[in-house]
Amino acid sequence: MAYTPGNPGTKLDENFENDLLAIADTKLVLGNWYAECTMNGRSLPDFAAILGMCTANYGHTRAIYQYLSAHGHDYDYLERGRGPEDICSSNLLDEAPTGWEDFIVSTWLAELSTWMLASGFLKHEDRAVAGITKKIGEETYFHLKYSQGWFQILGEGKKQSQLFQKAFAHRFPLALQWFGPARGKDPVHDAGIRDVPLKKLRDAFIKETAAAEKLLGANLEQEKSVRFAKDWRSDARRFGAMPDGLFEVVRFKDAEIAH
Amino acid sequence: MATKLKSKKKIDQKRERGGMEPKYYEVFARKNSQSDLSHVGSVEAPNDQLAQVRAWYIYDQHKWKEMCVVPLEAIITVTEEGKSAKIKMG
Repeated sequence: MAYTPGNPGTKLDENFENDLLAIADTKLVLGNWYAECTMNGRSLPDFAAILGMCTANYGHTRAIYQYLSAHGHDYDYLERGRGPEDICSSNLLDEAPTGWEDFIVSTWLAELSTWMLASGFLKHEDRAVAGITKKIGEETYFHLKYSQGWFQILGEGKKQSQLFQKAFAHRFPLALQWFGPARGKDPVHDAGIRDVPLKKLRDAFIKETAAAEKLLGANLEQEKSVRFAKDWRSDARRFGAMPDGLFEVVRFKDAEIAH
Repeated sequence: MATKLKSKKKIDQKRERGGMEPKYYEVFARKNSQSDLSHVGSVEAPNDQLAQVRAWYIYDQHKWKEMCVVPLEAIITVTEEGKSAKIKMG
């Protein structure tokens, strides 16, 4: 059945589905990053904040899976049935963080990039999509503020600033790659499903990341000429399959006790 | 025989907690536009941003309409001038 806004059961545009799944799957991995790193928080209140961000991201993932399941997808398959080659998470989060600075850089870039892409659907004609996007924005506001709080602290230490810069230089191209080639196709915008062109969202992402220099008090090297691997998949916004070790962390376990 | 840990997690008190002594913020919130702004608790944080986020996630028992944090050091006592405020939960 052809897609009509707000009408469950109708089939969505394939490229739109891919964008939603890329956001949801990246947030699935991001939520797991927070869950795994909770005890690396610096104090008891930090644990609470990290767990809060963890559950918020899981919530975003499930809200999008629910939406997709209302439009012809099998929820159980989306959440529990896919292998590492099927999950469309950003390559940014493939490697585990090497330290606290890398954790802050990586989670910040993941929060910001997913929000940038999601924000393109704020005015989507389907109220369900616009509502999910608005909720993601409201919650990401606090997640980004958490990063900003840490930028200031890390910026006070010379060694910490250098570790931050090193982590940024490594992770930024992976985050930027998620938006696809700078002059790539933008079928979702061309079809009128997203009212903001991908290029504009990508540019806004670059601008926002540069603004962090002020809080950190140090320069951040933005490598914008991203090289795309041969196995880059524009539909999944990633190259290669999710590493097996990461899949073991994020895969849904113990379905029987999840009710 | 107990295993001896090679290294302990090191916390830079000054950098990560805002000083050798913990820095506190008092948290105030209201449920809706008709209700009073009430004291709901305290958080420890090294700066305003982290205090805002920590307060939001720790005191999440209601869907607050409004929440604010105030550095404890910013509170000027009237009855006990020169001493820090002693804010207690009811």
